Amino acid sequence: MTADPALPLSFLGLFGDAVNFIFNQQPAETGGGLAQVGGPHQVLDLASEQLKVTALALALSLAIAMPPALWLGHRGKGERLAIAVGNAGRAIPELALIAIMAAVIGVGLGNLTIALSVLGIPPILTNTYVGVSQVDRGAVDAARGMGMTEPEIVRKVEVPLAVPTIMSGVRTATINIVATATIAPLAGILTLGDFIIARNVYGDAGVLAGAILVALLALSLELILAGVQYLLTSPGLRARRA
Amino acid sequence: MTSGIALAQVVLHNRSNPDCIQRNDIFCPGWAIDNIDRYVDPTVQHVVLVLASVGIGFAIAFTLALLAHRYRPLSTPFLAATGVLYTIPSIAFFFLLLPITGRGRTTAIIALTAFTLQIIYRNIMTGLNNVPPDIRDAGSGMGLTQRQLLWRVELPLALPEIIAGLRVATVSTVAIATLAVFVNGGGLGTEIYTAGRLTFKTGIILAGGLAIAMALVFDFALVTFQRYATPWQRAVPT
Amino acid sequence: MPEGNSSARGSGSGGALSVRYEHVTKRYPGSDSPAVEDLTLEIPAGDICVLVGPSGCGKTTAMRMANRMVEMDSGDILLGEESVRARPPARLRREMGYVIQQVGLFPHRTIAQNIATVPILLGWDRNRIDARVRELLELIRLDPALGERYPAQLSGGQQQRVGVARALAADPPVMLMDEPFGAIDPINRERLQNEFLRLQAEIRKTILFVTHDIDEAIKMGDRIAVMRVGGRVEQYASPAELLMAPADEFVEDFVGADRALKRLALMRVRDIDLWEAPLAYVGQPTAEVRAKLDSAEVPYPLLVDDQRRPLGWLSERDLAADIVPDRPDSAPDPILEVDDVMRDALANLLQTETQYAPVVDAGRHIAGVLSVEIISEFLTSPEAKTDEHSATERPHD
Repeated sequence: MTADPALPLSFLGLFGDAVNFIFNQQPAETGGGLAQVGGPHQVLDLASEQLKVTALALALSLAIAMPPALWLGHRGKGERLAIAVGNAGRAIPELALIAIMAAVIGVGLGNLTIALSVLGIPPILTNTYVGVSQVDRGAVDAARGMGMTEPEIVRKVEVPLAVPTIMSGVRTATINIVATATIAPLAGILTLGDFIIARNVYGDAGVLAGAILVALLALSLELILAGVQYLLTSPGLRARRA
Repeated sequence: MTSGIALAQVVLHNRSNPDCIQRNDIFCPGWAIDNIDRYVDPTVQHVVLVLASVGIGFAIAFTLALLAHRYRPLSTPFLAATGVLYTIPSIAFFFLLLPITGRGRTTAIIALTAFTLQIIYRNIMTGLNNVPPDIRDAGSGMGLTQRQLLWRVELPLALPEIIAGLRVATVSTVAIATLAVFVNGGGLGTEIYTAGRLTFKTGIILAGGLAIAMALVFDFALVTFQRYATPWQRAVPT
Repeated sequence: MPEGNSSARGSGSGGALSVRYEHVTKRYPGSDSPAVEDLTLEIPAGDICVLVGPSGCGKTTAMRMANRMVEMDSGDILLGEESVRARPPARLRREMGYVIQQVGLFPHRTIAQNIATVPILLGWDRNRIDARVRELLELIRLDPALGERYPAQLSGGQQQRVGVARALAADPPVMLMDEPFGAIDPINRERLQNEFLRLQAEIRKTILFVTHDIDEAIKMGDRIAVMRVGGRVEQYASPAELLMAPADEFVEDFVGADRALKRLALMRVRDIDLWEAPLAYVGQPTAEVRAKLDSAEVPYPLLVDDQRRPLGWLSERDLAADIVPDRPDSAPDPILEVDDVMRDALANLLQTETQYAPVVDAGRHIAGVLSVEIISEFLTSPEAKTDEHSATERPHD
């Protein structure tokens, strides 16, 4: 598209089309208009699929990354490793990950979940480690002196104090996973990203609609997690922030 | 150098090329070496995407940070705004921009830049805020103006934190820039996504590997720069 | 201390200025009572004025108004004849030395660069700056090689000294010091205080010094302002006056119940009128000695040699012979010196359970006799005048 004086208007027009796409089913671009696409039903379908995939991958990442990170952070060992994993994880190109997963291991929800958790594990691991290891040593010392067992210290002292940092890691992981789940259609799992990728089916309106929906989904998740973080953060920590 | 590659090409070509490709083995070194030239352009494009995005992102984030440092009330809105841009998945951002800026490198750069803003902005703010108050007090008390204090004391001391932010931003951008292919932005993603390549394992691994290597190189460069620019951190207490 | 180091004066503004507070008031927003209320104070040029008082009394606020780190609500502060408001704050501060408790050295600059901070701001040329930095390193007795190191590589005491050097770099006429030695251990603190007093003896700046420690105030100050909450000065006087005549109960409490002893720390033995002992020489007829005894202040004769150096005390037995023997019954110890700090002399007397001790001068010649009685008489006498030593001349070794 070249610069077009009517561009702003056409954008508005396209925007209107996109909104229309979300709320009303319409004929597909290809296939001779026989199939119907769009509309709230399909939108909700794909959205819930994306949410499901995200939730599963996040749960898996938490399950794999948290326990060792908590323990290492508590002991204060393995800092280099924790940081390195975080750095390495950031360098993984999502497109290559999905593509190689599909090509080598095959498609399917299970495989996709594993692939997505590869992106979710590093931020959770690193942030949990850093959060726990940087808790005020005086508080930990006092807790130990009062007779708490090591697991109790982690649970009652270190984690609550590390909540902001840990949650920051969880939120980053979620953003990574949601973003990559968007291109999951390349691996056969249909998420909202399908609207974006399969332009020939959904048309320009569909593509824009997909982009809007994905953005809204990501922002909503982020807000929810921010709320969770707020609830989990002890008032004592919150006061300090103000 | 070129003669070495030519030699390797000859050796490996005879050994494994055709069957390896037929079977679509996970990685065919022969093919990789034969076809390395076609990765040059995408790599260069990729580098351009990353440097442009991080460069512009830094310029914008730096300006925002200086403003927020001076006028406290700005810091929360800035954080929220950059946060929104960070949360929106880049691929969605590409297509949100599509109607306005069309397909091509510009769109990709705008979206990638938006992604780097929060990381860099937050790190600059943290770095500046971590300057011990007594150093600021001493500096003021000796007669440094606010601007002199900022440029001669606070920013140099915040440099490690700022560079840490740049490292994260750069590495992340290298990874995400593979998606630029979706809006015809070029980059290594073109070796993964365009027609017929999506299932070609060697191609995917090579493209992904090059991206990861690029990220490591940038990271290393930034670390080296940091070590050069902050001699006082290396000073061993005597 | 380097001999005759008048180059410590440097080539900046040099001459000290007086500092005058006139009805200065500061109230922080949202606070019921003012931090500093109607403060009026004059510090003569070249003097060390110590602001001392309990936490929260406003002493630091008062000091920080002099270089406008805190802006006063009303009143004025004059440096020499010029109001501090006459120039932009940054300019003003470059003409004042500023030392804070945490020092605040720039970690990213070398020691030399730290010291050169204000000269660079003032635009001195490179050579002048380098010479000045060398001079100051020598002044604070820091190995010049350390100039290229970073603050993190120096000890706490060394960093403190660099902080002082940094404040002196542009040779400002006035120095502000806020608990500068507070963060150091007692041993090094004493050393730093002594070094600073030696410095001040040479450079004679006007110094506004804040501390919460009354002992430090008494040691360091030419004049002391005892403050209470609200920046109110309860008494502004020399240390001796403060100890002898505290203005009210607050000052008395703050100075401490041992103020008599504190006074003794300010004096040397030479400052007091000593008693005379009848002197006896070897071979002198004892009749002469006995004659002197009747009218003497000290009831025992002191045997001295021909140089009038004390050899010992003579007892009745010694005087039973015709002539004075060459070996006295009692040793002369402890022998005190005129330059001894009075408090140490008293401690000596008490520890050795000595009633009378001979005092000698620099050549070991007898100068008089000191007793506990003399000291207590002095302390209780209402007209007791001590020589008003400035802080730099007071005993501090």
